This record gives sequence, structure tokens and C-alpha cells, in this order.
Amino acid sequence: MIDRLKDLWVHRELLYNLTVKELKVKYKRSVLGFLWSFMNPLIMLAVFSLVFSILVKNDAMNWFVVYLMSGLLPWLFFVNCLMQSVGTVVGNPGLVKKVYFPRETLPLAAIGANIFHFFMQMAVFFIFLLIIGWHFSIYLLFFPLVFLLEVTFTLGLCMFLSAANVYLRDVQHFVEVATMAWFWLTPIVYPIGMAMNALGEWFRLYLLNPMTNIIQLWQFIIYNPHYYAAKVYKFPDKYPAVNYLSFWGILGTSLLAVFLLVFGYYYFVRKERGFAEQI
Amino acid sequence: MAEYAVEIDEVSKMFKLYHENVKSLKEKVLFFRKRGYEEFWALKDVSVSVKPGETLGIIGANGSGKSTLLKCVTKILYPTSGKVVTNGSIAALLELGAGFQPDLTGRENVYLNASILGFSKKEVDKRFDEIVAFAELERFIDNHVRNYSSGMYIRLGFAIAINVDPDILIIDEVLAVGDEAFQRKCLERIEEIQESGKTIIFVTHNVEITKEICSYVVMLDHGSVVKEGRPREVVNYYHQVMETAEEGSERGDRRLEILGVALLNEAEEPTTVFHTGQPMKIRVAWRANEPVTDPVFGFSIDDYRGFTAYGTNTRLKGLDLGTLTGEGFVQFDLSSLPMLEGRYLVSAAIHSRDEQTIYHWLDRHVPFDMKSDVDDAGLLYVPTEIQVFR
Ligand SMILES: Nc1ncnc2c1ncn2[C@@H]1O[C@H](COP(=O)(O)OP(=O)(O)OP(=O)(O)O)[C@@H](O)[C@H]1O
Ligand SMILES: [Mg+2]
Repeated sequence: MIDRLKDLWVHRELLYNLTVKELKVKYKRSVLGFLWSFMNPLIMLAVFSLVFSILVKNDAMNWFVVYLMSGLLPWLFFVNCLMQSVGTVVGNPGLVKKVYFPRETLPLAAIGANIFHFFMQMAVFFIFLLIIGWHFSIYLLFFPLVFLLEVTFTLGLCMFLSAANVYLRDVQHFVEVATMAWFWLTPIVYPIGMAMNALGEWFRLYLLNPMTNIIQLWQFIIYNPHYYAAKVYKFPDKYPAVNYLSFWGILGTSLLAVFLLVFGYYYFVRKERGFAEQI
Repeated sequence: MAEYAVEIDEVSKMFKLYHENVKSLKEKVLFFRKRGYEEFWALKDVSVSVKPGETLGIIGANGSGKSTLLKCVTKILYPTSGKVVTNGSIAALLELGAGFQPDLTGRENVYLNASILGFSKKEVDKRFDEIVAFAELERFIDNHVRNYSSGMYIRLGFAIAINVDPDILIIDEVLAVGDEAFQRKCLERIEEIQESGKTIIFVTHNVEITKEICSYVVMLDHGSVVKEGRPREVVNYYHQVMETAEEGSERGDRRLEILGVALLNEAEEPTTVFHTGQPMKIRVAWRANEPVTDPVFGFSIDDYRGFTAYGTNTRLKGLDLGTLTGEGFVQFDLSSLPMLEGRYLVSAAIHSRDEQTIYHWLDRHVPFDMKSDVDDAGLLYVPTEIQVFR
């Protein structure tokens, strides 16, 4: 395993090149090119703002858009990583069957490209926040940590799934369906309070979802009505709240993420030997 | 330095041939515990060791396991049993344009490909011009690789692999795509690499090349080593095996039939071994199944590639045979055979003067071996005197 990490280090430039390739190929032959990374969140913002200004028609509009975006962007990052990395090994027979290199660079490069997109989109989002005069909370300083947590969790899962997919192609389809269900099991478009009211006893189970914890952390550091913005706007209760973050929830999620990363990588390295003949 | 650059120790490789390549959950559930595949051993107990600085050639028929062996050495595949130990950095060229991304330019691909081999941007920067110059792609380096011809692919791939300066260079039957000039250039470069003490493993169907550049040759057949040793011996064995595999063909209406072809030496004894400079008599026995007017008898001597070393017939020699009935034989007396070592095949034919009607044609029918006391290079022996003036 240590040897593998060394090998990966030797090939760090390959990882960089593959990531850049992923980005380049994606935008080859498109006029707007990299601008699309910005366009996506911009259009999302525009559509949401429009829809909610028609539906809600009061000052809650901005609140909800911010709530939505602060959970949705990290979620999209997570889902895109999963969807794009799960097929990377199977989708590159030309490389896997013909040349030796640490195969984990394939899913890693897909994640790398998505990290790039994520930062682009976050940048757009923050500019939007500045424009509407959003009051940022001090907890925003935790951005790198929250991001690290999400990336760790995502990495482990992606490693595991992309290796498993080589042996069982259903994984790819399963991921598509599963992430859709998962999306609704995570408080992104609805406030978590709604889930609590609706679920009653089952709510404890609901909180076991690691993505619930991660998304809530994002909402907490960016949107955060109770801790900082609330004092300014003085109408905290009318709006979606981020209530159910607990120390144990965060610790558990972190441990799970680390465990998944180690396990996912281990699984990948073990299965990797058979890749060339399986695809 | 380690004793061996590459040590292949009793390597076997089994592939599972699935009856139908469906890897879905349904399949797994339905065939749970029921084996849905057949075992196929692509390599069986192969052991080969290559010392640093040596050049190993691997030859064998299609599907004999050459590529599989190289893939085991380069860690693309892992042996089912046995082990492979390598010492030193490896650059492998296993397939045309392996690892090239069609949507990137030649330049971008050079960096990507080099980094796949584990080399850094800095190292490539230093050698970039050399790589491009070797590949002779200056004008196309900023074009999409998608638009390259197969020759251009292989030029670029080869240029990268040899210029990143690996300890061990592994090449699998890819040079054949390049044109003659480029193949020459590659062989020259390979010789340079050999001189600098690097190890090379080389798979090719152009087995004559192995005579030129390899120090040791291994022949695989159905996954096992069937012959190994000095290039010349192994290559001759290869030709024998390949030739028995392909049946000499036969055609004609047989109004005039060839009953047999015999190769005789000076003492008029049939033999299959001749020495450079010796005479040879080719005797073609015939029977006329009906009277035939004005036939032409001919023969040719081809090498294993199908190149004709020599051939002639009675018409070219100005002979008129009239009408043939009954039986007899025609004898061609060759006063001196100029060919150097190698395996040759004799074809014999009887046809009409205008070649419109073929009575009987035995294609590549009788094999014989040329032996030579001289070690001179080439196909033919040309008597040469050397004088030195000073
Ligand atoms: N992934 C695989 N799954 C199943 N069978 C395979 C696989 N790879 C190779 N084989 C089989 O192994 C045998 C050896 O193949 P290999 O490619 O090593 O032959 P080769 O000697 O390189 O032939 P060629 O001269 O055509 O390149 C073939 O019969 C091939 O069908
Ligand atoms: Mg092959």
C-alpha cells in the first residue's frame, strides 16, 4: 500500500495531466469553453431567483435561493464525482489494457476536474452573495475543512465504486438511481425541519445519512440563519433553519469518511490487478 | 547492479473465456456457483531471463502469447502463477498509439504519454524538440492526433518511448506500420540504445530482424517456449514450423501431370541440404495423361517470404519440347547455388506456351536448407577479393 502511494507520487504529473485533459476535452469545440463552468451556477441562480420571486413574493426569496445554492453546489459536486468516476476505468480500455500506470489516477482525475468546477461555481455563488449584500458568518473560515471532509468521503466512495464497476457493470446504473433517491433523503431543496416533523421517530435514522451532515455543514457555514445572519435580519423563524448538526454527527461522518477512503483505496488496489483482462 | 534486468519465472496466465460477456447482476445471480466460463491458458510455465544490456527477441505465430507475456512484464496483466521481477525503469510500446488521446494535439499527447510512463514535464521539455524531430512531425505537432495516419501515430509513440531514456525498452510489433525509412531509423536507434547498455525486449513477425538485432530469441507456441537460443537457430526452426503449417498449393488440369520433384546433389543423390556454391539438379518427373503439344516446364526457388531467388523455364531458355506422350523427366542443372544460409522452397510448373492453360503447378512444393561456411551478411554469396592499399 505504501509502495502504491509512492508509485502514485511518481505519477503525480500524470494525475495533473489527466485532470487537465478531462477539462480540455470537455470544452473542446465549444465556443464558450471554460465559461460554461460559470454559466451553470449563473443560470441556476437566475432561474431560482425568478421562480421564487414569483412563488414567494417577499424578502424570503433571497433566503431560499441562498439556502438552496449552499447545499446544491456541494451536492452536485458529490454526484458529478460519483457519476463521472464510476465509469472511468471501464471507459478507458485504450489506456488500461495497453499501458501500465497507477489506475487510481483515472477516478482521481475525474474528481480533480470536478474540484476545479466546484471552485468555479463557488466563486460565482460568492460573487452573487456579495452583490446581494449577504452577511457572511465567521464560520465561513471552516470552508477548507468542510471541503476536505466532503472530498475525503467522495474519494473513498469513488474508488470503491469505480473498481466494483469493472466486475459488475450494474454499479454504474445503480449509482444513477441511488443518487436520485439520496438527493431527496438529504435536506437540500427542503428545510431539514420539514423532515423532522414528517418523520417523527424515524428522524434519528434520517440523521445517519453522512451527506445530511456534510450538506448541513455547508449550509451552516454559508447560509447560517441562526448564528449570524439571523441577528441582522431578525426574522429567523420564518426561514429554513440548520438545526441538527451535532458533535457526534460530525465526528461520525469524519470517521466514516476516513474509513471509506482507506477501505476504498485498499479495495481498488486489490482489484486493480484484474482490470486489464476484465474490460 | 542486479543480475537480471527482467526475470520471468515459470509464468502462467489463465484467461477466463466467458460464454457470453454479460456481467450483470442477473448473470451473477443466475449463474451463482455455476461456472460460466472456460479456462484458457495463454501462457504455460514460461521462464526467460534477460541480463542488462541484452536484447531479447520473442517470436511465434498469432495468438501464441507474445503480447500476453509482454503485458505480464509491464504489469498490465498479472500472472496466474509464477512471477516477474524487473529492475529498472520501463518504457513499453505495446500497441499503436496506446495512450494517445485523439482529442488532444500531438504536443499535449507527448506530455500526457510521457507522464504515463512516469516522466516529468521538465524531462520532456528538455527532449521535446528531439522527440518531434525524430518523429518528423514538426508541421503536425499542434494538430489533433485524431487526424494522424497510423504511421504518424507510431512515429510519435516510438519517439517518446525511446527518448524518455528508459532502462528497459519493450516493443510489441508496432514498427511494422512505419514506412521503410522510418523502420531503418528505428533500427539504427535501437542499435544505439543497445550500445548504451540498455535492455530491450522485442516482439516481431519480421523474424529476420531478430537475426540482426537480438542476442537471444525465444519462440512461443500456444503459450509455451518451444525453442530458445541463438537467433539464427530459432529463426530457422520458426520457418520450418510455419511452413509445415501452410500447405503448398497445387493447381492445373493435369493433362500433363507432375509425378514428383527431386532435388539432387553433385553425386545425383536426393537431399534437402545444400551448401553455398554447390550445384543442384532439379528433376521434374512427368506423365502425359493425353498427348500435349508445346508445353513449358519451369521452376522457381523462393525464400520463406515468397521472394523468388531465381526461376526460369524451357521457353525462356529457347527450348521447344514438341508433343509429349507417355512419361519422362525434365532436369534443370544449376551449376552453383549463390544463396547464403536460410530455408528455401522449390516450385515446379508445366503450362502452355502462352500460360493460358496450366497443366500442373506445385507451389512451394519442395523445401531445402542452405548451409554456408561463411558468415557473410545478406541473401547471396558474391565472391569477393579484398585488397588493401596503403
Ligand atoms: N483479455 C483476454 N481474455 C481472454 N483471452 C485473451 C485475452 N488476452 C489475450 N487472450 C488470448 O490469449 C492468446 C494469446 O494472445 P496474445 O495477444 O498474447 O497473442 P500474440 O502472440 O501477441 O499474437 P499476435 O501475433 O497476433 O499479436 C490469444 O488466443 C488470445 O485470444
Ligand atoms: Mg500480439
